Amino acid sequence: MSFEVQAAALGLTGAAVGLAAMAARVTAWRARRHAVGEVGTPIAGEHPSLREPYVLYFTTEQCSTCRLLQEPALARLAAPVRRVDAIAERELAERFAIFPVPSTVVIGSDGAAANVNYGFA
Amino acid sequence: MAASTVDHSALKVNQAGIILTILVAFAGSAFSVWFELLIPALAVVMLLGTWRPDLALFKQIYFNFLKPRGIVKPRVVEDSPVPHNFAQGLGGVFVVIASVLLPLSLLLALAVSLLVAVLAFINLAFGYCVGCQVYFLLGRTGVLKQA
Repeated sequence: MSFEVQAAALGLTGAAVGLAAMAARVTAWRARRHAVGEVGTPIAGEHPSLREPYVLYFTTEQCSTCRLLQEPALARLAAPVRRVDAIAERELAERFAIFPVPSTVVIGSDGAAANVNYGFA
Repeated sequence: MAASTVDHSALKVNQAGIILTILVAFAGSAFSVWFELLIPALAVVMLLGTWRPDLALFKQIYFNFLKPRGIVKPRVVEDSPVPHNFAQGLGGVFVVIASVLLPLSLLLALAVSLLVAVLAFINLAFGYCVGCQVYFLLGRTGVLKQA
């Protein structure tokens, strides 16, 4: 009886998970670099010259993390939130390089993205 | 908003069942080759459960045994079952790959199985469903048509 194969399998899995985590961080870093500074769309009815900071909230109809975690968190925010369906509004999702849902983008008073959070924040 | 509901306790029991089966196969493989057979058996259970949710073994254990006896409390939330089913199917495909690798390389078969267990654990412990994110990305890129 030997545990060599099991130990090697554990090591291999650990390495794969580590690499995947690193790849996810690099992807998020690159996406954030691309997205920060991109211009958001004004909330319907808002005058473009009278903008206040707001949050673009990217979600989908089938995102349970969005409903269970992100939406209660956003409900506590004082800033206005614009809900964006990342599949229906693909162009906007691509502009901010949205790869997981939920994702949130803070649009500053200049209309440009000041901060981007990929995943629950 | 999706009008359907999903019992998240059933999902958690399903994930726990997958993790437990893989860990037993992993540890048992050091003692007997018979334990390795749990991997193809799990592949069948996962794919069958994806195809027909009423045939999902671990969910049925929850609905017919754990829930009626109050061992696990239900947690029904407004949700769509589709991404969760997709995630299980994706996990099932990986377990099929592990099953195919079994006669070729036990090391790779165990590593792929453990990877599925790790992803199931991330979902169970932190509520982060990697398979659901893959489902979203396929929808966003237009590969998969989503409602």
